[in-house]
Amino acid sequence: MLGFTKRAWSPYAAGIVVGLLQIPAFLLIGTALGTSSSYVTISANLAQFIDPSIVEIKYAANHLGGAKNWWQVALIAGIVLGAFVSSRLSGTPRWGHSPFWARAMGAHTPARRYAMATLGGFIMVFGARIADGCTSGHGVSGIAQLAIGSFIAVTAMFAAGIVTANLIYKRV
Amino acid sequence: MSVFAAILIGLAMGAIFGMALEKGRVCEGGVIVCQMQMSRHAMLKMFLSAVATGLIVLAILVGFGFAKLSPKATLFAADIVGGAILGVGIVMAGACPGTVLAQIGTGYRDAIFTFIGGLFGALAFTYMEPNILKPVLTTGSYGRLTLDQLLGVPFPAVALTFAAVIIGFLVWLEKVSPWEKEIGPNADGVPEEPATPVAASGAALR
Repeated sequence: MLGFTKRAWSPYAAGIVVGLLQIPAFLLIGTALGTSSSYVTISANLAQFIDPSIVEIKYAANHLGGAKNWWQVALIAGIVLGAFVSSRLSGTPRWGHSPFWARAMGAHTPARRYAMATLGGFIMVFGARIADGCTSGHGVSGIAQLAIGSFIAVTAMFAAGIVTANLIYKRV
Repeated sequence: MSVFAAILIGLAMGAIFGMALEKGRVCEGGVIVCQMQMSRHAMLKMFLSAVATGLIVLAILVGFGFAKLSPKATLFAADIVGGAILGVGIVMAGACPGTVLAQIGTGYRDAIFTFIGGLFGALAFTYMEPNILKPVLTTGSYGRLTLDQLLGVPFPAVALTFAAVIIGFLVWLEKVSPWEKEIGPNADGVPEEPATPVAASGAALR
């Protein structure tokens, strides 16, 4: 059922695996699964080379180091590794960008897609930091802890996502 | 815990996380966007399965006193505004802050741009947080509010009940829309036959 060479697992099996990761997260690290604060750790550490005074911003200082912050950076590095191995084992490597985008937006160049991806990435993490969590931190982890703020954030995320997806793309 | 040990644990957990994201096909922009168009539901199924599993796991860990919860504070304005901005970004990028890394692992080039954009988004937030964003972030702050507190019922009871509701919903959703059809023949969320002329003109009219 969970063969490594399979191209896809049922979304239920894949979701259960993610949910089980809460066990080591809570027992070993003392926190819930999350990914978006690692963007602060990475960018603040890089920005330090250009602007050493960034350490005076409390928010940056809180994310620069320590076991929990580097744990999450390692977690997202591990995601790249896991997905790489998984896609090679099943013979589903990807390149360029998905043919989906041509279906959703009509013919368009890689440059246009990359520009949109960059802008989308900026908006996505900027929003996640305002809300203090993303699909994993607020979604998977926050709702599993019955946090009211996470119910609100995830509802807002899906509502805005549904409106945007139906406004800017053709229905695929 | 030493930073080194935390990094090793993070890498191991991340590798499992990344494999699950890839096998669940939420590493595909098509799967994410189609979910947001509410036409196919592979992402919602995986998401809710992870939530339900988390609820059961945490009900046990908390019920037997093995772990303490760390729910995020309720910040009405920040949760609504930030969540909405996050949703718009996810649709434009075709990825979430976590799944974009799985996209990079599979080889998608555009995901590298999404990630770099995300780093700048985090940096912009860091610089704006103390002066510009503070008023938004602190409006409607209610501290660590949770559903079990509001109901006055122990966490494990609410968590297990909610998990049962989610599982019931997923059983129904799978009957209505089987997952194998949803991911498409190339497992990238793109359906098999191109839209028929009738359907295409219908989409154009919309």
